Amino acid sequence: MMDTETALAQGSNVVAPWTVVTQTPEQGRLDVVVRPTDLLPAVRALTEAHWGYLSAITGLDVPGAGQPTPEEKQWERLDGVPEHAGTVPMGGFEVLYHFCHGAAVLTLRVRLPRTQAAVVSICSVIPTATVFERELIEMLGIEVTETPNSDHLLLPDDWPSGVYPLRKEFHAPDAGSAAGEQGGSHQ
Amino acid sequence: MNELFPLLSFLVFPGGIFVLASGLVYEWTDRKLVARMQNRIGPRWFQPLADVVKLLAKEEVVPAGVNRSMFLAFPVVALAAALTAALYVPMAGFSPSFSFRGDLIVTVYLLSLLTLCIGLAGANTADRFSIIGATRTLTQLFSYEAPFLLALLGPAIVAGTWQISEIAGYAHNHWLILTQPIGFVVAIIGLMGKLELPPFDAPEAETEIVSGALTEYSGRGLALFRIGKDAELVIGLTLVAAFYLGGLSNPLEFLLKTGGLLLVVAGLQSLFARLRIDQVVGLWWRVGALLALLQLLVLVVLQGMGI
Amino acid sequence: MIQNPKPQKFIVPIGPQHPALKEPGHFEFTVDGEIVTSVAIRLGYVHRGIEKAAEERNYVQDLYLLERVCGICSHIHATAYALGVEKLAGITVPPRAQAIRELVAELERVHSHLLWLGVAAHEAGFDTLFMYSWRDRETVMDILERLSGNRVNYSANVLGGVKFNVDAAQADAIRRGMDFLEERTHHYYNIVTAEETFLRRTRGVGTMSADQAEALGTLGPTARASGVQRDLRIDSPYAAYTEFPVQIVTASAGDLEARFVVHVNELFESYRVIRVILDNFPPGEIEVRMPRRIPEGETISRVEAPRGELFYFIKSNGTDQPERIKIRTPSLSNWASVSATAPGHKLADMPMILVGIDPCFSCSDRSVSILPHDRQSKLWTWEDLRQYGIEYYR
Repeated sequence: MMDTETALAQGSNVVAPWTVVTQTPEQGRLDVVVRPTDLLPAVRALTEAHWGYLSAITGLDVPGAGQPTPEEKQWERLDGVPEHAGTVPMGGFEVLYHFCHGAAVLTLRVRLPRTQAAVVSICSVIPTATVFERELIEMLGIEVTETPNSDHLLLPDDWPSGVYPLRKEFHAPDAGSAAGEQGGSHQ
Repeated sequence: MNELFPLLSFLVFPGGIFVLASGLVYEWTDRKLVARMQNRIGPRWFQPLADVVKLLAKEEVVPAGVNRSMFLAFPVVALAAALTAALYVPMAGFSPSFSFRGDLIVTVYLLSLLTLCIGLAGANTADRFSIIGATRTLTQLFSYEAPFLLALLGPAIVAGTWQISEIAGYAHNHWLILTQPIGFVVAIIGLMGKLELPPFDAPEAETEIVSGALTEYSGRGLALFRIGKDAELVIGLTLVAAFYLGGLSNPLEFLLKTGGLLLVVAGLQSLFARLRIDQVVGLWWRVGALLALLQLLVLVVLQGMGI
Repeated sequence: MIQNPKPQKFIVPIGPQHPALKEPGHFEFTVDGEIVTSVAIRLGYVHRGIEKAAEERNYVQDLYLLERVCGICSHIHATAYALGVEKLAGITVPPRAQAIRELVAELERVHSHLLWLGVAAHEAGFDTLFMYSWRDRETVMDILERLSGNRVNYSANVLGGVKFNVDAAQADAIRRGMDFLEERTHHYYNIVTAEETFLRRTRGVGTMSADQAEALGTLGPTARASGVQRDLRIDSPYAAYTEFPVQIVTASAGDLEARFVVHVNELFESYRVIRVILDNFPPGEIEVRMPRRIPEGETISRVEAPRGELFYFIKSNGTDQPERIKIRTPSLSNWASVSATAPGHKLADMPMILVGIDPCFSCSDRSVSILPHDRQSKLWTWEDLRQYGIEYYR
């Protein structure tokens, strides 16, 4: 097995055509920000290069701080949709596709504004991603277009629609917040 | 002969109460032996009786989508068949209560009736586990029945009769296990297949189809099926012991020989992993039936040569 | 009989309550006779909302919460979490603590693999092996109890180290236990490779080639049985695995037999490494102080659980509560191999194939759950439960 740095360099080369920004948050990791529209080609390139395997998909709810952070100021540029410029301070979502190759972890980060939380399914390239995508849909309410199965994986069948437990606005009912009430009052 | 005798022999001895009681005892012995071989403690002596009493006291649920009268009739027919079969075998070492030429065939038929009833009972319900279990039960019936019959025919041919009491009498002077070892092995394994004991328990494989054909049965129906199986265990062991192990002439001999057979059966149960139904069929038709047939052929030829 | 107007798909449901599955999951096998043609999976029956709950607790509370994601591999969850948080805080844990982490992790692997061996044998209808392997598993359970006071949630980890030390008497007890288990495991190896009826149920069943396993993202012993060289203890050593390395165990056939062989051989490897750790225990402290607030950052912590790679993504926001904890358990990744290998096999093989990946339903069903309000039933809030617990133990 090749060493971690070589593997990361190789992976970085593979996704270079779609890369917007890269970061190295810690040793053995490389985070690559790609535009939502470029996600599928980047994933396909990694798969075709046999670079590791999809280990997990993490969805993050990034609450807006009221003031756009320096990072958020780039969002319009990152997803290339001009209308999204104004939505930035409201925060949004980040979807992280973690690919692992030995000790190396390459993460494709896709940023989505709250008003248009949709990302394309990667099941056409990696069919096994379906469970992760189902989780993403029900937990964060991120729309995954063209995903083969959007049924609940974990939540009960009678879970109210439009309530997404992993969003920051959602609190457990005993926390007594509006979102919690919403979660309970579906009957 | 007065009218009371057949009734008594059907209800008390050798049929009826005696078979039921010994069935429970044999079931306990079997369970206890298997448990000890698996390094478990096993049930207490009254556990099978307690199970039956509990089941009899429980509500019998008739599920939707079944033919009600058939659903209720199958367990009764199954148990009745098993009890009737007890009349023709040398129970507890005494000569059979009834005997006529060709009663071997009747007994084998009566013993199959139980399995047939279980299969039909499963097919009668709309439950998916039951239907698959019923299919498997009947598939297994068709696979072991022929070799089992062939294995019982071996002693019949050397004894020159189809009457159980006469075969048993002949076997008393000849330990047929020595002259017909294949027949003995096929008979004992056939018996295990009949009783759906591991490794032939695919029809009721709990990890796949819950309880097989009997999934929908509860309360009285389930209790009757279970006692029926216990009765069949005793009768089957008696038959094999009488044919192959030098006959049964007194209760002590009966106890020792059937007990010994039960030990072998329990050992086989804990030695093997469950066979898939296709493997069961393959085993019986490719190995069991062929070997039994071969043995029969040799016997017929030897008989013909007058040896 | 119910009338079927047109030929329908015959679906055999397994679960959520089923004798084959000791935990709840729901599988719908579409069968044609005895042959399975497709599988659908539904999880979530033991979904408890741990990911969300973790966001609403502080780091110390989360350690105990996450240890309860899974009852079988509890230690490895806590280890993954502790390693991640320590990385975020920039803390170096003393070597003795790391060695104890590895020791407990390997003991846990032994108990988990023996458990799997028994369950898998039970699914094959081989109850004798089931009973024996579970009897022998008690040895390692007793060792864990002797070390930590608990049989299941050993709570070995604290943030910044471990909770208990291992003294000479305990080390001797572990050595004796390993000697006994090693002898027994040789016996099991003979059974899974030579017992004829058992091999009929495992050889050539659920076969997955190395390419297939790679493409399906299979992890852990399931992948290694297909010849995929994937073991984080070697690829990316954590805790004390650099000082006390393990050898990778693989097989090439990719069928159930190979998975049995891999599991049993991994047992031998665990016994060996446990002895090495006991003989070369680094001296010193077992704990360092941790800050209460964790600096802002993100980390990924990957460890090799008994069932495969366990993936933790931890995002901190500078407070004493994490911003997000994402858990991806190995079972979730391995489900795909069931859907891929099941079609074409017999219904009778299904429990074996299901169990062949050593699934852990509680692991698959973590993250969020809030009980919907029901007007009749009383909803127990976290606070109620806490109060109840305090009252109960008073």
